[in-house]
Amino acid sequence: MTIVVGYVPTPEGEAALTQAITEARKASTTLLVINSSKGDAPVDTRYAQEPEMQGIEGRLAAQGIDHVIKQPVRGHDAAAEVLDAAEEHKADLIVIGLRRRTPVGKLIMGSTSQRILLEADCPVLAVKASMAG
Amino acid sequence: MDVFSSLMDGFATALTPMNFLYAVIGVVLGTAVGVLPGLGPAMTVALLLPVTYALEPTSAFIMFAGIYYGGMYGGSTTSILLNTPGESSSVVTAIEGNKMAKAGRAAQALATAAIGSFVAGTIGTALLAVCAPIVVKFAVSLGAPSYMAIMVLALLAVTAVLGSSRLRGFASLGLGLAIGLVGMDAVTGQRRLTFGQPLLADGLDIVVVAVAIFAVGEALWVAAHLRRTPMQIIPVGQPWMGKEDWKRSWKPWLRGTALGFPFGALPAGGAEIPTFLSYITEKRLTKHPEEFGKGAIEGVAGPEAANNAAAAGTLTPMLALGLPTNATAAVMLAAFTSYGIQPGPQLFATEGPLVWALIASLFIGNFLLLIINLPLAPVWAKLLQLPRPYLYAGILFFATLGAYSVNLQAFDLAILLVVGALGFMMRRFGLPVLPLVLGVILGPRLEKQLRQTLQLSAGDPAGLWSEPIAVVIYIIVAVILIWPLLYKLWRRNRPAAAPVSVPVAAPVAAVTRNDGGHATNVPSANVPDRNGPPESKEQP
Amino acid sequence: MSSSPSLASRLKGRSELGVALLLGAVGVVVLVDAIGLVTPYSKTDPVGPKTIPFVVAGLLLVCAVLLAINVIRGGQGEAEGGEDVDLTHPADWKTVLPLAGVFIANILLIDWAGWVISGTVLFWGSLLALGSRHYVRDGLIAAALSLLTFYGFYLGLGIALPAGLLEGIL
Repeated sequence: MTIVVGYVPTPEGEAALTQAITEARKASTTLLVINSSKGDAPVDTRYAQEPEMQGIEGRLAAQGIDHVIKQPVRGHDAAAEVLDAAEEHKADLIVIGLRRRTPVGKLIMGSTSQRILLEADCPVLAVKASMAG
Repeated sequence: MDVFSSLMDGFATALTPMNFLYAVIGVVLGTAVGVLPGLGPAMTVALLLPVTYALEPTSAFIMFAGIYYGGMYGGSTTSILLNTPGESSSVVTAIEGNKMAKAGRAAQALATAAIGSFVAGTIGTALLAVCAPIVVKFAVSLGAPSYMAIMVLALLAVTAVLGSSRLRGFASLGLGLAIGLVGMDAVTGQRRLTFGQPLLADGLDIVVVAVAIFAVGEALWVAAHLRRTPMQIIPVGQPWMGKEDWKRSWKPWLRGTALGFPFGALPAGGAEIPTFLSYITEKRLTKHPEEFGKGAIEGVAGPEAANNAAAAGTLTPMLALGLPTNATAAVMLAAFTSYGIQPGPQLFATEGPLVWALIASLFIGNFLLLIINLPLAPVWAKLLQLPRPYLYAGILFFATLGAYSVNLQAFDLAILLVVGALGFMMRRFGLPVLPLVLGVILGPRLEKQLRQTLQLSAGDPAGLWSEPIAVVIYIIVAVILIWPLLYKLWRRNRPAAAPVSVPVAAPVAAVTRNDGGHATNVPSANVPDRNGPPESKEQP
Repeated sequence: MSSSPSLASRLKGRSELGVALLLGAVGVVVLVDAIGLVTPYSKTDPVGPKTIPFVVAGLLLVCAVLLAINVIRGGQGEAEGGEDVDLTHPADWKTVLPLAGVFIANILLIDWAGWVISGTVLFWGSLLALGSRHYVRDGLIAAALSLLTFYGFYLGLGIALPAGLLEGIL
């Protein structure tokens, strides 16, 4: 039993993490936090830095949640990393954060969430930033 | 005409709307490439050399000057926020700067670096305006033998002093001189090293060689060793400084400037040594010694000022004597050649308005840089999110475009690739690229000077040292060349002082000389070249 | 010169001898070329066209020998570092060779197909070689950049880059 959450240091990512913690406690399962970077730019703001990841680690430990935190940098995009992790750990649920994108922006940049929604083999729970309690 | 009125005329030229626009473009581009890892001012100016075919020389040089100074400002931003000094001259800035940033004082570190750069750049440029005409006055009084001696000194000093291995420096120089030989001999009209290829008769275009070495070679080299992980950047707001910071910064700025300018003006002085000396000085003089190593503002203010003052100093021999001592100056000299302007002591006389407009634009550029760097540092830091493939593909694209537009010949692109591969190989095996480029630029001029000199003396080699100044300079050259040997002997005679034992039978010991952090290997064939600092990309 | 990097894999640790070999080869070429020059005796040019080539050839040959000795005795040139350079990995030929390939493709294409096409191929191919995987987006950017530079050079700098196959359309 595992829940996979795709984390990014943004309000959406925060919302997804919060929701994932709630789900993990409800089902008392392992929570797998994925924060990845393609590693192709000198600086990637969506790649959380160490103090932040330690904060999350502490938060999860304090709540007594069985957890694994991964920060893969393998040149794959975020969707691929989340899907990979879900498959590898036979996830029951994937939690992701949604952000608003214009149709044009989606066309140019592609959509991570869309790919996860379409390609995941398990239920996907999508949260918006405003939903974070 | 005296310096002041010439300079005012320069300002009048530099402040025309078009020239001012080019100054703005230059400083913006310069800051951008300074911030971006993997790009430097030398590469950028090289990539922009094709504009020399359409732009007026004055506008082009105003833009290049902006890039040169801008690169320095941008470089300090990256070294403070990322702790990855790309240029050897910002290594020292990163020591304290990054510590300050980690301690939550990034804003102050950036501010003291930017304001210090402005102060040092302005004073340095003023010194340049005052010193260059004096140097020129001295240089025009010299005859051909002395001038030739100075060229030899500049060439050998850069080759022998910079970089960690002299042997590899000379190998690089040899390759550069060989490239410079290609083409028709100006005196007899004979073709040298053209292999019957008519396209080589005019020689290798310096634009193509510069682009190949600085852009193609560098891009391929970085592509082969691309960092694949994101670096840790320290988030930053707008740079600012409190009263205490000002009080602690202004003296280091001035001391840094005083150290930086003379070193920059010396052939092979570079910016490494003065930045390091400035750091040591500040560490010794500070009232807060406990902060050194944890983010002392003096340790950012001094070296950063020294760095920029050295940049201004470098322009003195470049403009007054036509001798470049760092990569960017070398490429700028290539631009002069590309315009058919003869660099050298006559430059102030023949191209006075251009030179003074260039100097005036340095003042303007410095001021512009302060304005665009202080409030906009966070915006510049955003540039670091540009994916690397676009960056390096862009370099190759514009390098190709630039080299092709020289003659509109695909043949030049083949040369570009071959020389680019050479640049790659040199970076791989630790051959410094600067001696090569200097060899290409100065080689032909040196040969011309030699032939003129001996023509005057009717073939008698004694004509080479017929002037006292020439004799003095050749003695300096000799000292530079045999210095390591002397040093080794001195070390051997005083074994107590030498930490490294030198077995007489197999002298395979490396002796490292530490002159202000600039470790230099003893360059003899039997010494492993493994203990210098990483080869510097360039000394701005 | 491209032979020395490929030697790297075969002659482990001694690949730098390739550099010495290259220096020696260039030295010999310069020397042979200089010997072939004719020096008409002339009072106005006592130095002649041969002197400097001889000096350069000598410098190169001496460096070649010294470097070879240095390498055999265990000397090593220090690879150049940089902000974006990670020397902990060996050279990544899977990136460099495709880049060189794209570059050569551009040389072959430019006069025939024109800058807009060859430049697009160059930029797109370089992106691919460097690991970008947004094929469509990259293609659009590459085409736009090539078109922009074509017109920029024509209108801004007065340099007419070859139109090639698209002659008449552009």
